[in-house]
Amino acid sequence: MSQDIQNAGIGPGPYDAGPAPERAPLGSGAAGMGRILKRETHSSRAVVSVIAAALVVVVCGYALLETAVRAIGQPPWIVDPLTAAERVVALPAGMPPLLLGVTGAVVAMAGLFFFLNAVLPGRRARHLLPDRRAAVVVDDEVIAAALARRARLAANVTQQQVMVVVSRNRVVVNVRPTSGVPLRPDAVLDAVRRELEEMGPSPMPDVRIYVATAGVVGA
Amino acid sequence: MNNTPRVLNRVLIGILGIMLLGIGVLLVLLATVPAVGFWWHEWAGGVLNFWLNLFERTQFPRRQESWLWLVICFALVVVLGLMVAWVAQQGKGRTSLIVAEEDPGGVPGNVGISGGVAEQALRAALADRPDLAGVTVAAYEIRGVPALKIRVEPRQGVAPHKLAADVSSLVEALDAVIGKRTPVLIHIGSGARSRFGRAERVR
Repeated sequence: MSQDIQNAGIGPGPYDAGPAPERAPLGSGAAGMGRILKRETHSSRAVVSVIAAALVVVVCGYALLETAVRAIGQPPWIVDPLTAAERVVALPAGMPPLLLGVTGAVVAMAGLFFFLNAVLPGRRARHLLPDRRAAVVVDDEVIAAALARRARLAANVTQQQVMVVVSRNRVVVNVRPTSGVPLRPDAVLDAVRRELEEMGPSPMPDVRIYVATAGVVGA
Repeated sequence: MNNTPRVLNRVLIGILGIMLLGIGVLLVLLATVPAVGFWWHEWAGGVLNFWLNLFERTQFPRRQESWLWLVICFALVVVLGLMVAWVAQQGKGRTSLIVAEEDPGGVPGNVGISGGVAEQALRAALADRPDLAGVTVAAYEIRGVPALKIRVEPRQGVAPHKLAADVSSLVEALDAVIGKRTPVLIHIGSGARSRFGRAERVR
């Protein structure tokens, strides 16, 4: 059915003139595609960057305001830069230690957040699929939904009784059997494995199945 | 797939993170360890005196104010401008043409094929499929070479490899129509529409 539909829009058609571009090397070669795939499976940290930039803009904007006011000899808006510097130098005094400690902890946590974002690999929850023409990236959620459907059909249970968690190197299938209906975990495991092999995601995760001891009544 | 400057992002976020972490740890130490307080008075007092001296020495000729304030203002404006430029770098790299080449035929001129061609063709081809919740096609420029990004949102339970094979054969048909192989990325993702929409039951 899908075969018919997909050719209805842009079928190959009679166009066949000119040099056939078939199997020509990609414009930027395999390395370019590899770069694209690497970029697609890793976070670009754009959101964190925008947050960081906004933070710096706010702080610098305020500093600019106070400095400019000081530079043209007007009274300060909230605090004069020199007074602020003196207060910072005198710090443990002039501020309750609890408030100071909590402020420090909050600032340190924010710093840790940014630092870890910069240092960690930032992998996205995605897998690559083999394809002869295009580079294919699949969200783990989609893989999980497909495997859950497969497991549900193999186990003959309803949709709510199967939960599949896909991570980079592992697929965990949780099944709650229907009370009174025996369930063969091996068959479900086999079905999920076969589907996964057919899919061929890279890196290939290995499959585990957990069958709940308590069943669902009346499903 | 866009041209977000990833290394720059990492470096700048890392610098900001280290600075904030240092300030935070210093504040906590100041609040808890008295010895750090003494050291801080010594060190920061010295730094403050250095700056006060600098302000003294940089006064305008016949006036009280120091021109160093203007320099600081300028530096802050530069930092602000750099931050705005940094934000503007995020997610750029979209292009409108997927093919732009000189026509080898007898008529002088260039041939440009818009990314909208690919988008309309693929959308029309995928429009009738009941197992898809959405399709978006965008053209990006990767190192000067235009590339297509096809984002497909299947409904829950659709096998991604079969969908990928279908879309990929559509792309091959598109190659034949356009007459040029562009690098293509197919992203099979999930969004709100595929997550909360009805599951695909019959195929």
